[in-house]
Amino acid sequence: MSFAPRTWLRSGAPSVSLRAAWHYLPIAIVLLAWQLVVEFDLVDRAFLPSFGETLSALWEMTRNGEIGFNLLVSIYRAFAGLAMGSIIGVAIGLAMATSRRADEFFGPLVATTYSLPKSSLVPLFILWFGIGDVTSIVSVLLACLLPVIVSTYHGVQSVPPVIVWSARAMGTPHHLILWRILLPSSLLSIFTGVRIALGFCFVLTISVEMIAAKTGIGKLIFLYGENGAYAYMFGGLLAIVIVAYAADRTLLAAMNHLLRWDDSIHAAHVGG
Amino acid sequence: MISICVKHLNKRYRAKDGDVAALADVDIDVAEGEFVTIVGPSGCGKSTLLYILGGFIGADGGIIEINGKAVTGPGVDRGVVFQEYALFPWLTVAQNIRYGLEMSGAPRQRCEETVERLVRTIGLQGFEHRFPRELSGGMKQRVAIARTLAYDPKILLLDEPFGALDAQTREVMQDELLRLWQATRKTVMMVTHDVNEAVYLSERVLVMSQRPGRIVQEFKVTIDRTCEREVTVLNKNFNQLRNEVWLAVRRQAGARSV
Repeated sequence: MSFAPRTWLRSGAPSVSLRAAWHYLPIAIVLLAWQLVVEFDLVDRAFLPSFGETLSALWEMTRNGEIGFNLLVSIYRAFAGLAMGSIIGVAIGLAMATSRRADEFFGPLVATTYSLPKSSLVPLFILWFGIGDVTSIVSVLLACLLPVIVSTYHGVQSVPPVIVWSARAMGTPHHLILWRILLPSSLLSIFTGVRIALGFCFVLTISVEMIAAKTGIGKLIFLYGENGAYAYMFGGLLAIVIVAYAADRTLLAAMNHLLRWDDSIHAAHVGG
Repeated sequence: MISICVKHLNKRYRAKDGDVAALADVDIDVAEGEFVTIVGPSGCGKSTLLYILGGFIGADGGIIEINGKAVTGPGVDRGVVFQEYALFPWLTVAQNIRYGLEMSGAPRQRCEETVERLVRTIGLQGFEHRFPRELSGGMKQRVAIARTLAYDPKILLLDEPFGALDAQTREVMQDELLRLWQATRKTVMMVTHDVNEAVYLSERVLVMSQRPGRIVQEFKVTIDRTCEREVTVLNKNFNQLRNEVWLAVRRQAGARSV
């Protein structure tokens, strides 16, 4: 993930509106292609609704409250898991980076579970926690944990020694070094991990809901898919895509503000 | 009174193919209020010596005392200015300067007064709420010195403080440091590879050998420091002394190939 788009995009300094248009062009192309595929009957209409049909299905589900309720349930599960996973992840990452014993304890666990698909544990969680919120939240938490641990760990590891030395020379006691120096120093890294986790949290929520929930957008998508009501299925999908996109933009805006002192984030118009 | 006392200091670095001696049997005494500079070829261990005095890294033998007390770690009796400034990028100019005071538990009122006074001293009025990334190299170095002066350490340890600055800014900063030292009479120990800077600023110049570093030669500098820079630099005594120190350092740098 790059925070600094190269300057070729900005050569000749096009206007802001032109840049925004350029930015959303790929999305427009995909939507157009979708509409064309349906118009020219390249795929059976029964299996692929048009973008217009999807929109009207979404509108209908919004009006009858179906989307609102299930979306809130999914957002709750995703964000609860993300928040807990991030907090625990930052704590473990900091511990690993500052204590050899913590590193030796968590290191092998992190290394062996890093590439494990967390969704493969869902059947186990269903046995333990049953169908519903807890299973979803625990799965999301676990998926969010690893990217946050790894990025926090690397963030703290790459704090220049002179920064810590100068803090010590100015009388910072040992127990404050973590809070006053290491944490702000590695904030960009931590945020990068949380941003990756943000993507995972929606993926996990939706896929867990499809197999282990009675509510949520995932369940909604699954039910409409089963019944062959594909316009409604795509409508649910569109709803969660919009929410995930808005969440990512919000996190990015928060990052840009909190890290306004940071050279590397400021050098670029982050994320367009 | 002796402010910095170093006797038989040894330091080795662990490397893959055995230990590398960085410092060998270094002896230095610095009197209170004295300005001493160590010059030597790059890689001779002069920064290592300063980090040991700062308490950041340990020695492998010898005596290191600050005001009669053995060094066991970093302390606020020694203010350190690093070559890379080491400012906290997430704090503003004012917050960087008040950091040390805040850590010492100074009352709010005093923090604010000190910051205001120092910002004026370094001529950065109007930049109090800027972040370090918005400052030029010279401005950053001014802030780095100001934040060290804020908590009033008795000793200043300067690690190539002007090494990253352009020639003009460096001269301005040198004169500022000289004025500051004359006004406060703090004990200063500076490390540099710039012979001109060493002779211009300090009362005593120590020449270090190439690795493992030892003090091989000592020069007393007796020039009138009340003169303007032009007068000093064009002075015959200054030039003669500078040439002598330059030759001494050059001999050390040349010994590398033997």
